[in-house]
Amino acid sequence: MRQELTIALPKGKLFDKAAGMLKKVGFEAEGLSESSRKLVIANEELAIRFIITKTMDLPTYVEYGAADIGIIGKDVLAEEKKNVYELLDLGFGRCRMMLAVPEAMRREKLTDYAHLRVATKFPHVAEQFFRRAGIQVEIIKLNGSIELAPMVGLSELIVDLVETGRTLKENKLVEIAEIQVSTARFIANRASYKMKYDRISRLVEALRQECGG
Amino acid sequence: MSNREGAAFVPQIPYGTRDFLPREAWRKRKVENTLAATFANWGYEEVVTPTYEYLAVFGEGGLDAVDQVFKFFDRSNRTLVLRPDMTTPIARLSGTRFREETAPLKFFYLANVFRYEDAQAGRQCEFYQAGVELLGESSPVADAEVIALAVEALRAAGLQSFQISIGQADFLRSLIGEIGLDEQQAEELRHLLVSKDMVGLVNLLESALLSRDLKDRVKHVLLTNGKAELLKEAKALAGSEASRKAIENLETIYSLLKAHGVDEFVSFDLGLVRDFDYYTGMVFEGYTPGLGFPVCGGGRYDKLLEAFGRSQPATGFALGVDRLLMALEKQDKTLVKPPAPTIVAWEDGAQEKAIRLAASLRAAGKAVLVQTAPSAKPAAGMAEDGEYIFVEK
Repeated sequence: MRQELTIALPKGKLFDKAAGMLKKVGFEAEGLSESSRKLVIANEELAIRFIITKTMDLPTYVEYGAADIGIIGKDVLAEEKKNVYELLDLGFGRCRMMLAVPEAMRREKLTDYAHLRVATKFPHVAEQFFRRAGIQVEIIKLNGSIELAPMVGLSELIVDLVETGRTLKENKLVEIAEIQVSTARFIANRASYKMKYDRISRLVEALRQECGG
Repeated sequence: MSNREGAAFVPQIPYGTRDFLPREAWRKRKVENTLAATFANWGYEEVVTPTYEYLAVFGEGGLDAVDQVFKFFDRSNRTLVLRPDMTTPIARLSGTRFREETAPLKFFYLANVFRYEDAQAGRQCEFYQAGVELLGESSPVADAEVIALAVEALRAAGLQSFQISIGQADFLRSLIGEIGLDEQQAEELRHLLVSKDMVGLVNLLESALLSRDLKDRVKHVLLTNGKAELLKEAKALAGSEASRKAIENLETIYSLLKAHGVDEFVSFDLGLVRDFDYYTGMVFEGYTPGLGFPVCGGGRYDKLLEAFGRSQPATGFALGVDRLLMALEKQDKTLVKPPAPTIVAWEDGAQEKAIRLAASLRAAGKAVLVQTAPSAKPAAGMAEDGEYIFVEK
């Protein structure tokens, strides 16, 4: 039986590598690019179609079955807490989620930061981190430019993704704790994984070979 | 659009509840009738239990998520809960009202149940379940029957595309013991399986297990979905009498499912863990395209009834009616809307004649809607047909 697959790819920094890795294992479509104006790009011959979503929305598309499978960072998965299968660590897109503070405000212990304000794009992950550490803080959800918040007095701390650490340095911020390390993950809708098991598990196996795991 | 009169008062309904408007209520009724007829066809009898019970009843049932239930107090300050499932109330029934009955007992139910959930499509705090419980029989024949009945119920309701995954709680429990995980790792493994985090699962096994060969085999058996071949591999991995027996139990169930003619709908997933703790043997879940959660689920729970004073084995399943309706909306086009009734209109003075005509049509089995106010005689072009009858004086 021909099993059609809808694959969700996130806009942004994971896109090229994700599309490239899928292409290597034979999942491609003409005109698949991040700047494509088409929202759905199909390859009839292979019975696949790609959809390109906003990063934070991708797990939702997969949870509801609007896409069968997708590739997305662990940071987004941890934040969105959707009911999906997390099947494979693809290894690329590595970044760390950090707790950081302006150099001038650095304190001795983590617990010294209690009752301060934390700006972040990842309120659930941040909240969970502080709850486990037994520290009460006020979480402020922002949608970007997190480093700005402590500069203008909106918050004392930030929780943000760090790739090289350069942005932190430029803004005179220092890391005080690593919350999690994130890489790209291959995810599947719970029903699709069962209904289209043969095709999805073959794809997972091919990707596993590709990323050398 | 601006509202010059000021904001009107719009009464809200509580979080996680919903209204069924006529078309939805009609679909729900129709599906529930089909399910009830299917269960009755297999010799199951309907029971109805109270909407709320004492908290202690569900405590006995090993409800691990007490914060997921709606609680309130009666006049003497005893804690009551809105039932979070129907399995526990039926276990209570069998331990009290049916104490003297000879086994096996076969019950079915259609009921609303209540749990605090993050509400979204197909998941509400008040939701509707249809299900069966087969009490007092431990044989695989009983387990195969409830799985086959679940398949039959989904098919009868009109669902065309779905898949049943079967696991074994006993096998998983024994396996965790045999491969030498400590208590914390075992709990972690269970959590990872529930949240379907296979990356975390592989990482855990990689760090916890010693032998390369064992790691690979455990990963394979827990992560693969398959049929007879997978059971054979699992049996080879089984290191104790208990885990081997658990797999043999699934093999027997599988051959019985073939006899039921439903084996094409099932596959095995030995990493399957259900969210209730009381399961002791076969467990299963049903999936259908477009739903992020199972449409039905169940399994064997041999220890639950002991808590209610009558130790006996039991098995059963529940099916989410709201979820089934959502899936049907996509797959079955015949459930679109209820048939329209015949409309009887009348001119002033002909109301009694119209009422008598409607009565005779209803007696002949037609659905008839009599208009409640007189109408003007329709224009000549508008012919009377079966759907519109105009009654003259």
